[in-house]
Amino acid sequence: MIARRLQYELMSHALGPAMVAYQTWSDERRRSRRAAKESPFGPQLECTRKLKELMTRHYLAGRYADGAVPVAWVTSGFPVEFLRALGFFCVYPENHAALCSVQRKSAELSEVVEKEGYSRDLCSYARSDIGCALSLKTPVGRLPKPDLLACCTNICQTVLYWYRALAEHFRVPLVLLDTPFVYGSASPHQIQYVRDQLGEAVETAERISGRKLSGERMQRTAELALEGANLWGQCLEQGRHSPSPWTGFDGFFHMAPIVSLRGSEETNDYYRLLLAELQDRVSRGISGIREERHRLVWDNLPVWFKVRDISTSLAQRGFNLVCTSYTNAWAEAGKRMDPQDPLGSAARVYTHIILNQDLNNRMEVLRRLATEYRADGAILHSDRSCKPYSMGQVDLREKLASELGIKVLLLEADHADPRAYSSEQGETRLAAFMESFA
Amino acid sequence: MRTTYLQSQKDRGRRVLAVLPIYFPRPLLTALDVVAAELWGPPGPPRGPAAARVQTYVCAVARNALAFLSSGGADVADGVLFPHTCDSIQGLATIAKDLGGWKKRSFTLLHPKGPSRQSARTYLLAELRGLARELGEWTGRSLEPKRLSEAIELHAEIDSLRAELLTRRARLALSDRALYQLLRRGEFLWPEDHLAELRDARKSLNGQKVQTGVPLMATGYVPEPGSLFEVLEQAGAFIAADDYAAIGRRLPTREVVRHSDPFETLVDGWFALPPCPTRSADHASRLDHLERLLERSGARGVLIHQQKFCEPELFDVPAIRKMLTERKTPLLYLEGELERELSGQAVTRIEAFAEMLSTQGRAA
Amino acid sequence: MSVCAFGIDVGSTTTKAVAIDAGGRILERRVEPSHPRIEEQSARILDSLRGALGDAPVGATGYGRKRVKAGRILTEITCHARGAWTCARRPGVLIDIGGQDTKVIRLGPSGEVTDFAMNEKCAAGTGRFLEVILGRLQVPFSEVGDLVAKAAKAVPVSSTCTVFAESEVISLVAQGEPLEGIVRGLLQSLAARVSALAGSLPDGSSVFMSGGVALNRAMVETLQKVLGRPVEVLPEPQLVGALGAALSVRS
Repeated sequence: MIARRLQYELMSHALGPAMVAYQTWSDERRRSRRAAKESPFGPQLECTRKLKELMTRHYLAGRYADGAVPVAWVTSGFPVEFLRALGFFCVYPENHAALCSVQRKSAELSEVVEKEGYSRDLCSYARSDIGCALSLKTPVGRLPKPDLLACCTNICQTVLYWYRALAEHFRVPLVLLDTPFVYGSASPHQIQYVRDQLGEAVETAERISGRKLSGERMQRTAELALEGANLWGQCLEQGRHSPSPWTGFDGFFHMAPIVSLRGSEETNDYYRLLLAELQDRVSRGISGIREERHRLVWDNLPVWFKVRDISTSLAQRGFNLVCTSYTNAWAEAGKRMDPQDPLGSAARVYTHIILNQDLNNRMEVLRRLATEYRADGAILHSDRSCKPYSMGQVDLREKLASELGIKVLLLEADHADPRAYSSEQGETRLAAFMESFA
Repeated sequence: MRTTYLQSQKDRGRRVLAVLPIYFPRPLLTALDVVAAELWGPPGPPRGPAAARVQTYVCAVARNALAFLSSGGADVADGVLFPHTCDSIQGLATIAKDLGGWKKRSFTLLHPKGPSRQSARTYLLAELRGLARELGEWTGRSLEPKRLSEAIELHAEIDSLRAELLTRRARLALSDRALYQLLRRGEFLWPEDHLAELRDARKSLNGQKVQTGVPLMATGYVPEPGSLFEVLEQAGAFIAADDYAAIGRRLPTREVVRHSDPFETLVDGWFALPPCPTRSADHASRLDHLERLLERSGARGVLIHQQKFCEPELFDVPAIRKMLTERKTPLLYLEGELERELSGQAVTRIEAFAEMLSTQGRAA
Repeated sequence: MSVCAFGIDVGSTTTKAVAIDAGGRILERRVEPSHPRIEEQSARILDSLRGALGDAPVGATGYGRKRVKAGRILTEITCHARGAWTCARRPGVLIDIGGQDTKVIRLGPSGEVTDFAMNEKCAAGTGRFLEVILGRLQVPFSEVGDLVAKAAKAVPVSSTCTVFAESEVISLVAQGEPLEGIVRGLLQSLAARVSALAGSLPDGSSVFMSGGVALNRAMVETLQKVLGRPVEVLPEPQLVGALGAALSVRS
């Protein structure tokens, strides 16, 4: 146990960063040898290197976390603050699944679980992550085994089925935070239900970590989470400038810390750095894409395995994603965190996540984003794997087009599984959409 | 036929509430003189101008229901109740309410997920009371605790009769088709009318076994299309144990504790239901329940009958498969999209399954 | 040797019929493209067999089995299993890639079906998948083997949906990928789908193959590679279903 702890500390604080630095350096060398092609994008964000370091260090530390510190696997919408305050190392299977997709591993991992009888119609994140648990194959080398699974249904019910399967596989307790769907606003008994469950969840987590939740630590973590959400929000708001200093596609990657390392000093340090760089780019008129002629809103998760292709197609014709409802969600909710009442406010905050609210609210968010970011078009990614995010988009498309007078594309794809996407049809639709602006 | 019946109920001063799958407090509706008319799709391709408002990768139950509601198919109903069964029915609820499809009143029942925890019990009690209040205001009737208690007893009797017909299936001189038609009429009949039909059917129970085909267990969402049962019968098989969400999973597995507050009784009834993925039962209790059903019924094979894209059900399939493989119980996996008829391919698979089981029976 | 039974397998693309003797040997065979008027076609084929060999009971199977005037009607699964057992005489896993559906049938120690899997209604993983795309590439089925042998490497085709794969293949061609590599990629994609349907195979179990696609050497080799074990093609693989149907009425 002590040896394991030492190994973990060593990897996360000393050796880990050194290895990351080495990898970054060799990556850059490799890149510099390649001929610089005409890129439709603006100069790369300096911060990207730091982001890579931060995330690689996180996954590297993860390799040695189990046995050293308590490990929890959590959903992106779980109120992770109390787990952090209890000293848990948190793994985000959704973030990991996105990584698998970017690295083109989703199909292979899915085949593992499809052999076990999982339907191909199930969420591709769930399929690739369960596939990773069963086959131990992962692009990050190794994921630490969980002592606890923590699942909040504010993003979908899918996570519940997914985590139940993980609980069965790892034979560890599953903490469920069931958040009633919100029509208009949540009623007091619904918020109370979430608050009660948080109490139950804290008890379980205390038992597993062998620690008592300290009020002081909890408050500090909530403060950090609040500050982090505000910083992330400010970063996103830089996109309101014309031209936007970055692209929504950058945002998909730079959101990793607020999702996976929310409530930590290093995350907030990172976003301060990113914010400074974005502000500097704004003052110098540096744009996310070479020539910004049109500004788009994106709804739903990214098409991880096609981010490069889609962003390039758009940038080549002067289209920039200036905001996305997805990255915005992590800025929006966290702002209402109250460090004086961390668990009570968490119950409210985490119930009012965009995906746990009705379509009136969703329409309002999209309308507000399109207006504030002065968008003249929107892409709604109709995501085969994410039914809660996608249902209603057929109507939202019409409503956005008619009420705001902008052009809207419904793009059929998937967030992780390339087998569910037809590149040719997707490219054609995207091209036709862009042509319609002429 | 359904519409005519429901209209006649309205003429008697009752209100009609269309209800989406699966779980809702029937006694509460009965006590307020509200007839529930369940909406499982309906089967067939979605029709009308709203047919394409839900993407094709969403289950047909939700997709068809929006098309049906939007095109006036459920206009005999005075309101709709959307239980929080899954993401798709949740999505349907907000589309119909916020973006058009249902103009009359809609209600929601955001029932808790997971095991019987104190937080879930307290919440369900408050949620049921809230629904009762809303329905009371809507009907203009006051809910008397005595009437609610009576309605609870009425439904308990219905449930126990339904359970009896299912558990003593092999002695029941009715075809699967006829039995399931009867059970599914409970989806829209006023409870007393349904009770009368059930009592009548009970007379067909014999002292000894009358079903001679290969006994099967069925687990899945909803037994559609109904012609499935004819194909099974012709192939020499019958359903001896039922774990359809629409049928068997709505019958309590134990005696429900009667509390002085009938709402408390409703809450206990909720947690007395068999394990179901849409209420997020854990695998262990679900598999236990299925194994008990298998053993009690003597089923020789299992039909896993799902709707395409039904996440809650589909996520449980690997565990069920594994359990059956370990027990060496043959299984047939059948997936549909609320078609009106089985495809030729599905018929072939069912027939081959029955052929396989009957030769195995001979070998044994 | 006198005729003892007829078997007819009315498939979605071809109709196959056999006449067998008491020992289960095939005396006569007929293979024709399936006609929509199943009753007429099957009656004509059976009459021609009767004319040559005399009368005998008829067993029917296949997609159109219920339209045939036969003494016994059984599904393809049972018939392929019976036919395969007569040829192989040992337990194992039988793969039949048909025009409309693909079947994986497990044979028990006495030839009984212990389990089977069939693709869902989509054409992915069936002979139709190959047919559509090869047709699009204008590659005759008979040339697939030679073509694949020439491929330096497979060009991966990731879509398994027939419609998606078709457009993917067209764009691969447009990008200048070699035809032989694409065809090899297609076979691999189909084999992966079949392997997924088969699930994990018990160690040491034999794998047999029936159906018209089994005549394609390249497909069999690809399947062997993906499954990681030898695949034994049954004699006259396209007749196995008809043979099983005949065996089921053999007195």
